[in-house]
Amino acid sequence: MYGGGNVFEATKFDDLQAEDPVKLAEFEARIAGGEKIEPTDWMPELYRKQLIRMIEQHAHSEIIGALPEGTWITRAPGFRRKMAQMAKVQDEVGHAQLLYSAAETLGKSREQMLTDLINGKSKYSNVFNYPAFTWADSNIISWLIDAGAIVNQMANAKGSYGPYARALERICAEEAFHLKYGHDAVVHMATGTPTQRAMIQAALNRWWGPIMTFFGPSDKMSTHTETLMRWKVKMASNDECRQQFLDMYVPKIWELGLTVPDPKLKKNPETGQWEYTEPDWEEFKRVINGDGPCNAERLAVRRTAEERGAWVRRALLNPKAQYVRPLA
Amino acid sequence: MYLQSLDPRVTRLHLPEGDMPPMEAKPALDQFETYEAFHQKKEGAAHTYVGPVHAPNEEVAFLFAKEQYSRRFPCVGLWVVRTAHIQVTPYAGDSENIYDMLRIEAPAEPSAEAVPYEIFHLKKRGKAHTHAGRVLATSYQEALQEARKAFGDKGPIVNVWIVKSKDVLQSAEEDKDMWTTIPEKKYRDAIAYKVMDKITKFKEEQKNNIAP
Repeated sequence: MYGGGNVFEATKFDDLQAEDPVKLAEFEARIAGGEKIEPTDWMPELYRKQLIRMIEQHAHSEIIGALPEGTWITRAPGFRRKMAQMAKVQDEVGHAQLLYSAAETLGKSREQMLTDLINGKSKYSNVFNYPAFTWADSNIISWLIDAGAIVNQMANAKGSYGPYARALERICAEEAFHLKYGHDAVVHMATGTPTQRAMIQAALNRWWGPIMTFFGPSDKMSTHTETLMRWKVKMASNDECRQQFLDMYVPKIWELGLTVPDPKLKKNPETGQWEYTEPDWEEFKRVINGDGPCNAERLAVRRTAEERGAWVRRALLNPKAQYVRPLA
Repeated sequence: MYLQSLDPRVTRLHLPEGDMPPMEAKPALDQFETYEAFHQKKEGAAHTYVGPVHAPNEEVAFLFAKEQYSRRFPCVGLWVVRTAHIQVTPYAGDSENIYDMLRIEAPAEPSAEAVPYEIFHLKKRGKAHTHAGRVLATSYQEALQEARKAFGDKGPIVNVWIVKSKDVLQSAEEDKDMWTTIPEKKYRDAIAYKVMDKITKFKEEQKNNIAP
C-alpha cells in the first residue's frame, strides 16, 4: 500500500551547478541507457534527497496504513477473512521494512526515519488520517486505496534506483492478493442484502474524497520536475496516475450498481480524460499538516509501540554491534 | 483524559490526549545492525539475494529473514550474513565485467590457512546478486582472484560480493519443513478470489429484476 501524492518541492539542491559536470553527464547517460543506479554509484544530491524523501514516505505509509486495517482483524466476519486480513496487514508491515532498507542505502538511518515519522517531520499518505468506521470502510481501503497504491508502485518500479526497484518488485507481487481480496470483499457486500449494499455505498461515499486526493495535487511542471522525470525518480505525473486509476476502477464500481458521489464524474469521449469535481485541496493541506480526524491517534499508537518496545531492543543489543549500511 | 479511538484496543492503551512533546531522537543502533538475506527458490537453484534485515544477532536475523522473505512464495533454503562480513567490489556497467576492470593483486606469501569463501555475482544492475560458487583462499583479496579464475569469464558481471563461508548462517536440510505450510495458505493468493462469477450472477439478477 502506498501513500502517493508526493509533492516534490523545489529545494536548494534545485540547481545542479554545484555538481561535477563530468560525473553528472556519466550519471545521466547511464539512466538514459536504461541502466539502474546502485547505492555506491556517484549521484547528484538532488537525486539522493528526493529518493530518500519519496521512499521514506512510502515506507511510513505502509506502516501507518496497517493501523486502520489492523483494527479490523479481530472483528472481521469469519475465520477466513480474519486470516486474510492478518496476512495483508503483515504484508504491509513487511513492505515498510523493505522500503526503510531501500531508503537506508541512500544514507538515512532507520532510527532517524522513525524519529522523523513520530515527530511529524516526515509525512505518510494522507488517506490514513481518516477513520475506518465499519467493516465496509476496511473493504474500501483494501480494494481502492490498494488499487491506487498499485498504480503508483507499478510506475515507480520502473524507476532508476536499483534498491527501490527491487523492493517494489516484491511488493507488487504481494499486492496482487490484496487487490483481489479487497475486490472480493466489496463484491460480497455489493451483491448481498440491502443492508450490506447500503453499508458499502456509505463507505465508498466517505472514502471518495480521500481517494481522489490520494495521488496528490496536479504537479507544477517546473524544470525541477522535468529533471526528476529525466532521472526516472518521478515516473508519472500525479494527474496521469489519477486518470489511470479512474480508468481502471470507476467501471468496476459502476458494474456493481454502486454510485460515485461526484455528479461531475464522467469520461470525456473526445479527450479520453476523466472529468471530475476538483478535490478539496484545502482540506488535504489541512489534514496532511496534522489537523485530520486520526493524525494524533496514528502517531500516538506508533510512538507507544516504539517507546514500550525500547527496553526489549536495549536488552537485545550486542554491545559490540557496529552499524554498516545495508548493501543493496 | 485519554485518547478515545474507534478501536477499543487503542482506547485501552490509555494514550494521552492532545499534543505530545517531541520524541527524543532514537539512539544509534536502536534498530540494530543489518544482515543480508539470500533465498533458494527450489532444489538445486543458486541462492539469490533478497534484501536486508535489522537484527540483534544472527539467529534473530534468520528468523526475521524467514518471515520477511520466505513467508509468501516458495522457498527451500535461506542464508543470512552480517552486512559487515561482506566485501564488495565497485560496480561496473551492465555490459562490462568487473573482474577485467580491477587490478587484483596477488597476495604476497600466503601466511594463513586457506578457508572457503562464498562468491556472489550481480549480472545486471537492478537485479539481485546470485551465488556463483565457492573458492578456497587465505584472504578476501585472494578469494577475488580465485573467483575470477573459477567464474570470472561468464559474460557481464557488474558487481561481486565475497564472504567467508563460516560467516554465512545457512538453513539445514532438516529445517526445510518450516516452509511446508506455504502452499496451504491459499487465502493469500490472488487466484483464490473468484469475483467474476459473483459479478456475472449479480448482473443477471439485476437484468431479471428490471425486466417487466
